[in-house]
Amino acid sequence: MNMDPFSFIVAILVYVAVIVFVAGMTFKIIVWAKSPRMKINLGIYPKPRNGFVRFFRIIRDSFIFPQTLEVDRWMWVFAMLFHAALFVALFGHFRLVREFTFVSNVIGQDNLNTLGAVGGGTMGIIMLIALGYYLFRRFASPYKDISVPEDFILIILLAGIVGLGDHMRFFGAVHTEDYREYFQSIMRFKPAFNEALAQSQTRWVLSWHVLFVNLFVIYFPFSKLVHLIGTFFANKVRSE
Amino acid sequence: MLDIEKKELMIQTLKNKVNKQLLYYLDVCARCAICRDACHQYKVTRDPKYIPAYRAELIRRLYKKYFSVLGKLFPKIYEAKDIDDEFLLSELYQVTYACTGCRRCMYYCPFSIDTLHILSVAKAILLSAGMENQILRELSDAAIMKGENIELFKDIFVTMLKESEPEIREKIKDKNAQIPIDKKNADVLYVALSGMHSILPAAIIFDKAKINWTLSMFEAANYGYFLGDSQKAKTIADRIVSEAKRLNVKEVIITECGHAYRVMNFFYEAWTGQKPPFKVSALIDSISRYIKDGLIEVNKNPSSEIVTYHDPCQVGRNGGFFEEPRYVINAITDNFRELTPNRTKSWCCGGGGGLVAIPEMDEFRIKTGEIKANQIKETEARIIISPCENCRLQLDSLNEKYGMDIKVKSMMEFVAENLKV
Ligand code: HEM
Ligand code: SF4
Ligand code: SF4
Repeated sequence: MNMDPFSFIVAILVYVAVIVFVAGMTFKIIVWAKSPRMKINLGIYPKPRNGFVRFFRIIRDSFIFPQTLEVDRWMWVFAMLFHAALFVALFGHFRLVREFTFVSNVIGQDNLNTLGAVGGGTMGIIMLIALGYYLFRRFASPYKDISVPEDFILIILLAGIVGLGDHMRFFGAVHTEDYREYFQSIMRFKPAFNEALAQSQTRWVLSWHVLFVNLFVIYFPFSKLVHLIGTFFANKVRSE
Repeated sequence: MLDIEKKELMIQTLKNKVNKQLLYYLDVCARCAICRDACHQYKVTRDPKYIPAYRAELIRRLYKKYFSVLGKLFPKIYEAKDIDDEFLLSELYQVTYACTGCRRCMYYCPFSIDTLHILSVAKAILLSAGMENQILRELSDAAIMKGENIELFKDIFVTMLKESEPEIREKIKDKNAQIPIDKKNADVLYVALSGMHSILPAAIIFDKAKINWTLSMFEAANYGYFLGDSQKAKTIADRIVSEAKRLNVKEVIITECGHAYRVMNFFYEAWTGQKPPFKVSALIDSISRYIKDGLIEVNKNPSSEIVTYHDPCQVGRNGGFFEEPRYVINAITDNFRELTPNRTKSWCCGGGGGLVAIPEMDEFRIKTGEIKANQIKETEARIIISPCENCRLQLDSLNEKYGMDIKVKSMMEFVAENLKV
């Protein structure tokens, strides 16, 4: 095994994080599901005419929340950018599970790498800017008056993840294949660095990136980020 | 410091109020403050404690303290607070009884968080601490007292009604017209407010439309609801429900009073677990039906004055009547001009939530009504119609304070004035 102790601990923590995340989210959903439902429907009028329209509205209100645009345009813009970039960046990480051969077969391996570099890099920068906006906003009144430490913890963890991710994207000399080997070694329950990573200083950036992800993922089910699922339920109440 | 037993009671109250909706709302709020400018009270005062999310946050701090593992372990992360924290309770009292329950914040929140719902839990906690609003409590108790001693009030009430009957007969040229009371097997029980202003115009309309109706001895207003005491609120509503059952009516029509309709049509079921055994209608809905069905006719364009309409939050966004009132107004005048924004986005007038009944809130509600006042001025209307008593009282105050030079009317008044006889 060619991992330094720190990187090894971080890798082991991945398992803990996955377990805590799954258990935590399951627990949250069970608590929600088991609590009594209010007997009456207190949605906002005009209410949807039928179940189909209701479904459409729940989806629209959860993904686009158009009414927000009218009352706080910049927050809407940055929230949209952030979430879209987050989604694309997360999706990009699946290259670590398996190379997107369905793409490289069409456009070629080199082009896929370029696409990853440009696309991933752009998403990283968008997220960083959006996080900067989130953070900056919370230092100003009246946002600081309603912020609690949880809000800052999440933004800082995210900024750590994104910042270190961008660092690997823009400064590292390590290739996707090497990261993929690292990722797959964790998936096989035998965490290890290959030669390229073990030789490179970038392994520190990588391990810190993963450490921040672990902390973030562990905290996720106990934070306001359960809005990942909760938004659909809450927006359903609006339409009932 | 509150004593231990009271503290236990307050925690228990919070626990009893936990339901799905509350959990979603407490768990998902991102504290993004998108809701801030949706609330007229924050927008006018710029005081952070009136941001809807801040109001909800006060309850969230208690919830984190007692019901979340991490909140118990690391209260600082969530600023979790003890339920007997005096500063928290005093802020909670202020922002809870200030909220008009307009739910405009819910409309704009990306997660549709219902701040009013969270604050109904706040009211329950304040009640269990003996910190409820005293004026609303007195008004609720008075209503309950009246229900228990209705015989004492009946004679005066009947005399007052009899005195008004000639006016109706004169108006609709029908010498048999009357204001029936205690009439068994009537089709409709009409529930008004105290004061002839909410009885007379409706009586004119019902009698003209030849409805088989009877007047309730009780007023529709329910201060128990504003107080947040579901026990008292239920007792107050029950006066009307048992009267309707006793008289065996088919339909109960609630006068133009936003919360009263919601109490009968929604909350009564939540408090008692059953729907009232009759149809519940709102008077504006009935009036628009009478016109549509040709039961009454109205004069078109009695004057060239511009008429505007204020959507009461409890009638529009929270009650579902947007087109009915517009249909009626358009039946009478071609000079109807909308406020902007309107319908589901309508600004609260600032007087809801029982605020008009609380003298200490006068200054605050008139100040926070500024947005509504400006909106009305922009239309250059000379008549504003609003089918909610609280809104009309508030609009009267605004009219005076902001020099709007406008006549505030109920829909029944507007229709009765312009009735074709
Ligand atoms: C689908 C509906 C969603 C809506 C309406 C929504 C809405 C929001 C809003 C309004 C914020 C702003 C928070 C702030 O001002 O700080 C936010 C933050 C955030 N959301 Fe979402 N979100 C959604 C889905 C998701 C999903 C699927 C994820 C992730 C896996 C996610 C992760 C985050 C993160 C990481 C933040 C930043 C943390 C923070 O600002 O504290 N969201 N979301
Ligand atoms: S808009 Fe909704 S999620 Fe955002 S702070 Fe207000 S209540 Fe919370
Ligand atoms: S319900 Fe209305 S008054 Fe109450 S917090 Fe929301 S916007 Fe403000």
